[in-house]
Amino acid sequence: MAFRSSTGAPARAHSGDRLVHGLLLGCTALAAASAAAVVGALGLETVRFFADVPLSRFLADLAWTPLAEEPGFGILPLVAGTVQIAAGATVLVLPVAIMLAVFLEFYAGKRTASVMNATVAALGSVPAVVYGYFALNFVTPALKRVWPGLEAFNGISACLVVGLMILPTIVVLSREALAAVPRSVLRQAVALGATRERALLRLALPAAGPGVLGSVVLAMTRAVGETMIVTLAAGNPTGVSWNPLEGVRTLTSFIAQASMGDLAPGGIEYGACFAVAAVLFLLTCGMHALGRALVARGYPGAPRGNRS
Amino acid sequence: MSAPAAGRQAHRVRRWLRALGVVAAGITLAALCMLAVVLLFNAAGRPDASAVRSGLGSAVAGTLWLALLTSVIAVPVGVGTAVYLEEYAPRTRAWRFLASVLTNLGGVPSVVYGIAGLALFVRGMGLGPSILAGGLTLAVLTVPRVFTSSRRALASVPESLRWNALALGATRWQVVRDQVLRAAAPDIVKGCSAALVRAAGAAAPLLIIGAASFTTFAPVSPSDPLTGLPTQIFAWTARPRAGFPALAAGASVTLLFVMALIRLVPWDLRRRHGEARG
Repeated sequence: MAFRSSTGAPARAHSGDRLVHGLLLGCTALAAASAAAVVGALGLETVRFFADVPLSRFLADLAWTPLAEEPGFGILPLVAGTVQIAAGATVLVLPVAIMLAVFLEFYAGKRTASVMNATVAALGSVPAVVYGYFALNFVTPALKRVWPGLEAFNGISACLVVGLMILPTIVVLSREALAAVPRSVLRQAVALGATRERALLRLALPAAGPGVLGSVVLAMTRAVGETMIVTLAAGNPTGVSWNPLEGVRTLTSFIAQASMGDLAPGGIEYGACFAVAAVLFLLTCGMHALGRALVARGYPGAPRGNRS
Repeated sequence: MSAPAAGRQAHRVRRWLRALGVVAAGITLAALCMLAVVLLFNAAGRPDASAVRSGLGSAVAGTLWLALLTSVIAVPVGVGTAVYLEEYAPRTRAWRFLASVLTNLGGVPSVVYGIAGLALFVRGMGLGPSILAGGLTLAVLTVPRVFTSSRRALASVPESLRWNALALGATRWQVVRDQVLRAAAPDIVKGCSAALVRAAGAAAPLLIIGAASFTTFAPVSPSDPLTGLPTQIFAWTARPRAGFPALAAGASVTLLFVMALIRLVPWDLRRRHGEARG
């Protein structure tokens, strides 16, 4: 610690050292400025929007129809859509992801593990728009054979594919949490007479609990922010429906749909996009911070990292 | 419980856990295979006459331009910030605040950056829906991700390495350049290329700042109209006309190929630092 914080001056000041110090400081200033610019741009337009639309209507209206004759400015229908997609995707994918993480950490042979690692990595690097294509052109037609009543744009296909997209996040981070549980503890349990499975289910899984939960929160953060799959597969209905066979509109897909037309700056829809983006910003920042805190906590009694 | 009974039960639990794991692995593998088959099968289909004239050249050029601009801006800024905060800056309250803001910005979805880019670059700086505006937006999106992975890489370098080099008389920059960065390089490179590949595949921010879905010429400078493979795929997928799904699938395969190429770029660094593969 004292290495960098004692006086703030370099150990031996060369002119080259000073130059590098200045350059790095400049990088940091740029990064901070870009963060401030993003927050500032969102905040400014959002404040302007709330000059036209009272906050009470934003929070209490039960419809989000900024362009209708009698416009509705309630954020709740969009939040409900986002919750449907994020919760649906998580519920669908969670059992598979956790079982896969446990399997890879405790049961899979070397070759199986490397094949599955490559599979999970590949799923994690597919761009969202390609997933959206997959949802619209394969998953929806396939589901339609099972449920003929399925609409062309529906929530269930978006949930399935968003679930596929967030699977790598849960698998990789849950596996890290399981791997962080000291093997000595598990061996001691086995030495005291527990079976390997009992040690796994009663010791390793609960100990990895915060990390696994954190991985789920981080995955849900990605699902909340997912735009392309939802825009392509779930349509753009104005009403709220809890039927997975019908379309769903989320915070993200509203922004995408609205901005595909020409957004006139100063218009009510332009401001609405910023207000919705600000809500998304706060929501995802909070969820991300919570998820990271859970992942960083580790198993009970884990040594604290003294850096950062 | 008698010993043999407990053994039998343990055996049963083990068989169940293993079977569930195999099923989960099978589902995951099947999903990936299905995705690949759908893309390749549709890409091999013949687009009809009206769609044939839509080429991919300008979209590929757009994506390469965007990747270049993003990496030129985001990699130095992100890595530089990580090095400064991790190796130089005293750990004050401001340090903690900035580090946590930058880290949590990594969790903000790309649409939000698209909206911010629309206000900042397209309208604020008057760049219009150009390649440059797109590149800047993607750079702002990528900086926090590069920062987070680089910072983690730097933090995992043992403290003793720094103390030893300092004790031998190295200046701080010599310590950072010759010891810390060298040790952290493989992870930094891995993190940077993952962040860049993700930026190259991002469609939402480009759509929002106004990517053209039809361009007649390939972009030759950053001021040309914004175009790229992800937005092209979106345009072709969202348009329900015959022949377009085949085009979108072909563009998807091309995009995955371009992303794999971007991942290969730092091969020289990897070899020098003796790392096997990303």
